[in-house]
Amino acid sequence: MLKSLDPRVTRLNLPDGEVPPMEEKPELDQFETYEAFHQKKDGAAHTYVGPVHAPNEDVAFLFAKEQYSRRFPCVGLWIARTENIQVTPYGNDGENVYDMLRIEETAEQIEQPEPYEIFHLKKRGKAHTHAGRVMATSYLNALQEAKQAFGEKSPIVNVWVVKSKDVLQSAEDDKDMWTTVPEKKYREAIAYKVMDKITKYKEERKNTPAQ
Amino acid sequence: MNELAIKDLLYKLADDQLILGHRNSEWTGFGPILEEDIAFSSMAQDKIGHSLAFYTLLHELGEAEPDTVAFTRNANQFHNNQLVELPNGEYDFSLIRHFLYDNAEIIRFEMLSQSSYEPIAKVAMKLKGEVKYHVLHANTWIKNLGTSTEEALIRLQSSLNEALPYALGMFEKSTYEQELINAGVYAGEEAVKSEWLKRIQAVLEKTELRLPDLKSKEPKLGGRYGEHTEHLQPLLDEMAEVFKIDPTAEW
Repeated sequence: MLKSLDPRVTRLNLPDGEVPPMEEKPELDQFETYEAFHQKKDGAAHTYVGPVHAPNEDVAFLFAKEQYSRRFPCVGLWIARTENIQVTPYGNDGENVYDMLRIEETAEQIEQPEPYEIFHLKKRGKAHTHAGRVMATSYLNALQEAKQAFGEKSPIVNVWVVKSKDVLQSAEDDKDMWTTVPEKKYREAIAYKVMDKITKYKEERKNTPAQ
Repeated sequence: MNELAIKDLLYKLADDQLILGHRNSEWTGFGPILEEDIAFSSMAQDKIGHSLAFYTLLHELGEAEPDTVAFTRNANQFHNNQLVELPNGEYDFSLIRHFLYDNAEIIRFEMLSQSSYEPIAKVAMKLKGEVKYHVLHANTWIKNLGTSTEEALIRLQSSLNEALPYALGMFEKSTYEQELINAGVYAGEEAVKSEWLKRIQAVLEKTELRLPDLKSKEPKLGGRYGEHTEHLQPLLDEMAEVFKIDPTAEW
């Protein structure tokens, strides 16, 4: 049996020696992706923080909470399935992508309008930030509405559009899940003052005559 | 307020969180997927943090330093329920325990945040958001896996059956039970238990899992006053192994 300094490993009663090769997995055998947006403080716009792989949006919420809101102040989290986010082409820095889109045609008004969330990327390399919500009958119509509502000013190099119903939003009541995060200094390497301790140790050694 | 009653309550709160925190931390590096590994580790840190908060209150009431209390007692001096000390088993068992335990813990924190004993009320108020997230984590997995594959259902159901008598032991009454209730410290174990049953039932109803008949389950009592399973002492030895090499070391 395999013996390890880590008692948990020893307890697994693994055979010692060659590890049998892992069964081969089919390509892309993984959970689909969801995109996470966090809110740093009350009233601030939700900002894109990154993707998570998850089996559904509820689990994506849990994973995103751990991965993207375990260190810095946070009061809210939004989750959207990647597939449900419509992305415009990218403009160059300084350009306004709304001006480059052919979204002037009137969309057919068959559907009832519903809310859409609009996210803007102001500069390449930065994060998409929530610009606001519009009522629209389609993704295209949402872009038209967004251009009018908040697309005229400043450079906008890329836009994400997602139906509000496809965004899982943390509740106002759930803000308390994050209140203690800034106090968790033990999650920061700096809190352990490792360099200080190494320097101190070296200093002490320097003053000790060699044996 | 009788100080012995308060200490009795604080010890069981602190010891529950410390021991389950340690058990959860045993998943670090061994989780079924990376994200879950991080989540369990993160909740382990929260729980150990909660135990520190309660040990600190005990220290203010004249008990030894938190580290001394956490690392130098033997199993028969611990007040945790027996559910939290059981080995992790496979992930199904750890999840079921997490579900049964944290759904009770959040009720305690909610009640204690309204406590007439202010130091506990402050701590509970401050930390209950963390426990709320632990409950969300547990309920989300139970709802998902409890409606998934046959293997998942069989595993979870058998873990639920196995854990339940120990879970009922969480509500073992204090020697000072009536005193704590009368003084408005919290509503007592019977009240926690009946609210707990409602909440876990509400989740289980959304799954294919069934809560076994409670009358057929004898609660595993004794943990609150030092009676433990054979699993606690080895856990304590392992937890304190590094501390005991040099108890005066600064970390």
